[in-house]
Amino acid sequence: MAAVTLTNVVKRFGIFEVVHGANIDIADGEFVVFVGPSGCGKSTLLRMIAGLEDISGGDIAIGGKVMNDVEPADRGIAMVFQSYALYPHMTVEQNLSFGLRMNGNPKADTERRVKRAAEILRIDELMQRRPKQLSGGQRQRVAIGRAIVREPQVFLFDEPLSNLDAELRVQMRVEISRLHKELGVTMIYVTHDQTEAMTLADRIVVLKAGNVEQIGAPLDLYDDPANRFVAGFIGSPKMNFLSAKVVETTNSAAIIELAHHGGARLRKPLCETFPAVGAEVVLGVRPEHFFEAGEGDCDIPVKADVAEHLGSVSYVYANAGPEELIVEREASRQRGSGDHFTVSIKAERALLFDKAGARIR
Amino acid sequence: MRTQNATAYRFLTPYLLIFAIFWIWPIISSFIISFQATRTVPWRFAPTFNWGRLIGDPAFYNALKNTLLILVIQVPVMIALAIVMAVLLNSPLLKARGLYRFAFFAPVVVGEVAYSAVFRLMFSLDFGIVNKLLESVGISKIDWFSNVTPAMALIMIAVTWRWAGYNAIIILAGLQSIPEDVYEAATLDRVSRVKQFFYITLPLLKPVIVFCAVLSIIGTMQLFTEPFLITERGGPGGGTETLGLLLYRQGFRSLNFGYASAVAYTMAGLAIAITLVQLWLMREPK
Repeated sequence: MAAVTLTNVVKRFGIFEVVHGANIDIADGEFVVFVGPSGCGKSTLLRMIAGLEDISGGDIAIGGKVMNDVEPADRGIAMVFQSYALYPHMTVEQNLSFGLRMNGNPKADTERRVKRAAEILRIDELMQRRPKQLSGGQRQRVAIGRAIVREPQVFLFDEPLSNLDAELRVQMRVEISRLHKELGVTMIYVTHDQTEAMTLADRIVVLKAGNVEQIGAPLDLYDDPANRFVAGFIGSPKMNFLSAKVVETTNSAAIIELAHHGGARLRKPLCETFPAVGAEVVLGVRPEHFFEAGEGDCDIPVKADVAEHLGSVSYVYANAGPEELIVEREASRQRGSGDHFTVSIKAERALLFDKAGARIR
Repeated sequence: MRTQNATAYRFLTPYLLIFAIFWIWPIISSFIISFQATRTVPWRFAPTFNWGRLIGDPAFYNALKNTLLILVIQVPVMIALAIVMAVLLNSPLLKARGLYRFAFFAPVVVGEVAYSAVFRLMFSLDFGIVNKLLESVGISKIDWFSNVTPAMALIMIAVTWRWAGYNAIIILAGLQSIPEDVYEAATLDRVSRVKQFFYITLPLLKPVIVFCAVLSIIGTMQLFTEPFLITERGGPGGGTETLGLLLYRQGFRSLNFGYASAVAYTMAGLAIAITLVQLWLMREPK
């Protein structure tokens, strides 16, 4: 087991800098998920940790040792690839044992490790099959098994579930979570799926365009995002953003007026970073934080456009003036297209961002 | 028949007619001719006339021996060379890869007569650059055209020069279809580059190599141009005569179409048999 530390890690492809000085501390045994949209540099970061990409600047340390110039095989890591990267001409057993056999590992030890991995992943009965004879989920298990037999200090997962169907993805998510508990090793997991990040991670690293936007526990990121990007990226359905303006300040509070909702106003406690009167701001409200009319601090009339009924909850996609809102309702099965209703916002459940997207708190 | 299909068949008819007349009929016709005595007028049905002669004909066995010798030596060497060339062409370290790809493929495009003439000049006893080079490193010059062994070597060198690049391009396509992450996984498994080549690249290239080998076997069984043009009609003294050349000599010099047809069917049968054996040997384990 080992901690992983990234200090000012930079990656350039030619003149293009794709990772701009990432600083991330991953504790021993922690499950950390790198999440972000396509092209944010999350896979590049993972590949730099693995040693499959050179580092243009900064340091990567595993177990306290700087690994910048250490060969991938000597870093004590194992990686599970998005496409599984199984050897197509080998059986499952040969896939699992290939690396050990090629390095002259004692036969008995190789057999022990392969057997253990097979038991952990329940793939004992697939050992003589070839990858093309396996389902997507089984292939993924074999790919994880190949990582397990290396007995690494750090597991790296590069979008391992993205080729699986929704049901299998949930199942494998649980299995990876179980595996982490069972092995207790450090795991770094890359995904663009915030649901995977929320369900698996001890901590999440949110990346955007090569920058680390925020690092924190899943619920901390959900409840207390550092900026509008994190607030919008974490959470499904996404947070609603309403245009507003600071119209008045007192000694302890500021009055925010929503731009498109008939002068609806909210009172937010004043802080050091609060913009001056007249500044444009953005109010962030999660779908579940729209209350019934009259329950909050200000009401907004909306018109339902489309409703998604998921059983336990429904999501109503509604228009409020020029803005589109997603409203979560537990008891709105009858709410249909064209219905008019009113939602209410509580000031303490609404987040405020400045025009540049930074959080005001 | 649906109108759409009928229209399609109407468009196909001219091609199908030409195919039937110039491909299907000659195949059937030569099979029938191989059972006929064609040195008499009129031709008569004589099942053992040509096939019986074939079994006891020293010229046939000489041509068969030469063909198989080229097959056994030249084809493996050429395929091995093609694999090496493909790996080099696939290397990210190689600059101007497009230029090399073109250079390796170019021999196929060169006209057969032109390339044969150039080879004759290059290997000429007194004026050829090859002998000059040999002499410059202290090796006495070789009479490539008057002795059987050098003549056979010359045929093999020429065929290899002409077709190695072509096979290399096919193998290169196979190489490029192997996903990069398989090698990355092997790198993380501490598998050396050399072991990656033998344990990953070669097994994954097997279908492409088999394809190249089958094409080469068929090509070698039909080998004609090089012994005809470079070593002058299978010379010296039939030392480089192949089955293709024997067929030509019997069919178009002696006008013995029946015997030539029997040789042609033997060539086809051998090519099929060798290919089947190879496919069986290189089959995917269940």
